[in-house]
Amino acid sequence: MSEAILQARGVSKSFGGLRAVSEFSLSLPARGLHGLIGPNGAGKTTVFNLLTGVYHPSEGEISLAGESLLGLKPHKRAAAGLARTFQNIRLFAELSVLDNVRIACHLRTTHSMGSAILRLPKHRREERAIVRRSMELLEVFDLAGRASEDARNLPYGDQRRLEIARALATEPKCLLLDEPAAGMNPQEKVDLRKLIHQIRERFGVAILLIEHDMGVVMNLCERITVLNFGQTIAAGTPEHVQSDPKVIEAYLGTE
Amino acid sequence: MSHETPPTPGLVSSLVRGYMPFVVAVGVAIVMQVVVRPNVDPYPAKLLLDIGINCILAVSLTMVNGFTGQFSMGHAGFMAVGGYASGAITYYTSMRVWGAGEARGGVLSGMLGGEGLPWLTVGDGLFLFSLIVGGVVAAGLGYLVGLPSLRLKGDYLAIVTLGFGEIVRVVIQQTSPVLTSAEEVRQATILQLPTHVGGSLGFSGIPYYTGLFWVYLGVCVTLIVAFRLKTSTFGRAFLSIRNDEIAAEAMGVNTTRYKVWAFVIAAFFAGIAGGLFSHTLGVGLSPEAAGFLRSFDVIIMVVLGGLGSISGAVAAAIIVTLLPEWLRGVAEYRMIIYALALILIMIFRPKGLFGVREVWDRATWAWLSRRKSGTGARGGARE
Repeated sequence: MSEAILQARGVSKSFGGLRAVSEFSLSLPARGLHGLIGPNGAGKTTVFNLLTGVYHPSEGEISLAGESLLGLKPHKRAAAGLARTFQNIRLFAELSVLDNVRIACHLRTTHSMGSAILRLPKHRREERAIVRRSMELLEVFDLAGRASEDARNLPYGDQRRLEIARALATEPKCLLLDEPAAGMNPQEKVDLRKLIHQIRERFGVAILLIEHDMGVVMNLCERITVLNFGQTIAAGTPEHVQSDPKVIEAYLGTE
Repeated sequence: MSHETPPTPGLVSSLVRGYMPFVVAVGVAIVMQVVVRPNVDPYPAKLLLDIGINCILAVSLTMVNGFTGQFSMGHAGFMAVGGYASGAITYYTSMRVWGAGEARGGVLSGMLGGEGLPWLTVGDGLFLFSLIVGGVVAAGLGYLVGLPSLRLKGDYLAIVTLGFGEIVRVVIQQTSPVLTSAEEVRQATILQLPTHVGGSLGFSGIPYYTGLFWVYLGVCVTLIVAFRLKTSTFGRAFLSIRNDEIAAEAMGVNTTRYKVWAFVIAAFFAGIAGGLFSHTLGVGLSPEAAGFLRSFDVIIMVVLGGLGSISGAVAAAIIVTLLPEWLRGVAEYRMIIYALALILIMIFRPKGLFGVREVWDRATWAWLSRRKSGTGARGGARE
């Protein structure tokens, strides 16, 4: 197996007396597909927020491609190559579909504000590159035809895909998807699985996803980590995890 | 769908395109002063001047309240600081150098426009310099006020900025009387002069340099900068903060930096507007210029025009300046009608006249056709 792109070691987070995440570890290889599952309130989204810098861990170490991410703000982590989507879609609702993606291209631009005000050649060049790249991404996600619509006017499934397109526009090494299949019908879930595979092939990113839908997780992910009450109760291949008695207990309870 | 790459423009042509609007701005400003001003009566000319200054204030506040969605209520504070700073520079420099405080401008200065004067004089240079310094001082304060905006949101930021305006007002009230004799001015040190700006009596004696040329030059430059920012990757970064700060940060937008930048740029232009205001004939610059009533006026313009819409801010600045004048005929009911008009507009256009869009965006007018075809029933489907 290749070098880990995203690595977390012994990451814990307490909110007051509540230990939301305890001793979380993860080693996500380049182009890996890793699932994070667990019952409601298990701490999955907290893990995402710890990885992306919304929260800072009480203990532990997080690194991306060998560089420590600790203490970095979310925008610096995005620049380092970590992009995410949100459980409750967070698009820039009033802005156009194209602008949503263009905003995510901002962090890779190098010209100054003065250059934008004077419309210097460098500004023009980078703006053109942004449009080209954004339209390419929208085409991959089949959204190019709706580029000028307001993001809030898109149907739900399109909004979910736009969020992924936007995350990819930051040119990430690792993509974190928070419940990408939430609210989708069975056909859309099948399409989503294909799409996630495509994304990995085309953009060469490693993907970590939170998902409640077992069909999606078990078919898609190479490795799975199961959380319950902030504790990692199992980690391994889908088959291994599925047969783990602790996992069965967490999901189904015991007699 | 393929994307044809447009031919890369040469350096010269792209420089021309980059600077051309500024050249046009100077042309427009000259026309306002040389052609428009002599052909209208002094009263409408004064209204044109007020409209211009209000445009600069409204468009600059749009960058904070509209683009980044921070609610600043202290815009008049920046304006007053810029006005006092530039007024003190021109007044005391004139007193020191020429021994008298009146304006020594050329054809492009003032509201009267002299015969046989040169187009621009040393006095105009001094005025321009003072405007820029006023803008820079205000921008510096904008930086200081922008810093708490990193931690505060919504109502809390509004209160802090409101407090800032009041602090400016009270500090100005505590200043000493203006030095009126050249002798006193020459004896005072450079550091003493800024404390002699009139206190609560107001700063009188500031030379009257402001005319339609300078005001509309200011308007055009403010508009060019605002439009170019809005339509650039930086403007989109600003707007993303307003839409969803958490998502903006996660997509790599340095929200901290841009929130402060918005304050700094807006304060700079408010400072320039203040400088233009303080050098206007018949305007007494007093601490009240920093008061919250003035800030509210600007907020009304920005909200009325649509938060984030530059052309909306301009339209609203014109309406808000002219409405009280139109209603002069029904003097007793003037303020009632004014308030009613604002309330009605907010009921029927809750996002302001143009929302976040500009007048020429087709989507701005979509509601018209929707109203015609759907008789209001589909209005609810907009959510």
